[in-house]
Amino acid sequence: MAKKKGGLLSVFKDIVYGMSSHEMTRHAVRTRASMEHLFILITMGDLLGIPILPPYYSLRLLPYVTPQISSWKRRMLRERDVTDVLG
Amino acid sequence: MSLKTAFESQPERRYVMFGGKGGLGKTTLSATSAFWLASHGKRVLLFSVDPQASLSDIFQRDIFGKGPVKIMDNLWAQEVDADRRIREYQEEIRKKILDMYGFDRVPEEIDNYISAASAEPAMEESAIFDAVVDIIVQGDYDYYIYDLVPLGHALYYLSMAKVYDEWINKITRLREEMRQYDQVAATMRRDETVQEDQILTELTYIKDRINASSRILTDSNRTAFFFVVVPEEMIILDTRKAATLFAKFDVPISGYVVNRVLPPELRSPTAPPYLQNRIAMQERYLADIKTAFGAQVLAYVPEMERDVTGLGMIERLARRLFAHEGEARP
Repeated sequence: MAKKKGGLLSVFKDIVYGMSSHEMTRHAVRTRASMEHLFILITMGDLLGIPILPPYYSLRLLPYVTPQISSWKRRMLRERDVTDVLG
Repeated sequence: MSLKTAFESQPERRYVMFGGKGGLGKTTLSATSAFWLASHGKRVLLFSVDPQASLSDIFQRDIFGKGPVKIMDNLWAQEVDADRRIREYQEEIRKKILDMYGFDRVPEEIDNYISAASAEPAMEESAIFDAVVDIIVQGDYDYYIYDLVPLGHALYYLSMAKVYDEWINKITRLREEMRQYDQVAATMRRDETVQEDQILTELTYIKDRINASSRILTDSNRTAFFFVVVPEEMIILDTRKAATLFAKFDVPISGYVVNRVLPPELRSPTAPPYLQNRIAMQERYLADIKTAFGAQVLAYVPEMERDVTGLGMIERLARRLFAHEGEARP
């Protein structure tokens, strides 16, 4: 019984979360992702041909951003048009 | 004040550098000072940050890339092999990527980046910079004597410390801000813990290393920076310019050493006119040096009759350089 109650409570929690803070969470996560791309640009700019700083220490950071590199490059090099502004 | 009293009166200045234009005798003076300190019971590491290092030449032993090599009691010398360091570093990065993600091989794009980054001219300087940090943070010597690269490089090296420092501070701040967003998202999702940001840990590590190194370079309590000059017009002019630039980077200049002074016993009416002219010219420039640097001149080093190489010759020069108490005299 207690278990079911817990289940109900958690469903209720999820609903409240969905109604109230899901949007905010999404916003935080998206902002975080943009910052991640900015961060990679600053440290790994060389990859796009924009040498920003001496690469010695950026190499140290490379392993941690390896999985994000291709999505970052796609985003940075993607063609943009007026719908970007509307979106 | 003499070079001897400069060392004796400021024993807490354990990081010693000789700077100056190429070919003026920085290595000779570094080695001689290292020898003198070591023979007075101090543990001394003399190391070179110059890709074309000449410590091997002066000690007549191949010490390139071999770590600290013992030259005599209390004296070790080290020449950094930047190329090897870069190769090892690249391998380390590749291995880390393989380990972290369980890849069989490094993705081509990433691998190309690692190779390309290592071909950058700044890479070698940075690798040497990093090697120096390694050397000085280990800290088990009484004295660290830098056999510095020529002036331009030294300035680049110093400005790099400053740029790195500012750069790292900025991105660390950005990273911390990113972490706050992580926390916001986690709190709203009611996640118990936020994953530790390894990049932030790595950045803090880099920052600490750079700070340690630039703090020492610009700390007048712990660092003695000596300029080497010779009595020649161009050199005097360049040195004055460089001194102004160094002051901009807050490098504490401890004094000047005048090298290659023709011995006074050559001054005789029977000397050939060529020599008499050289001596007269030199006297003029020595007077210029006195006007420009005055009491900051710590030593006048005579032009020896042969190259200073090998411990015997270094010992002879040390005896002359550190012999006199009180005022330096030409």
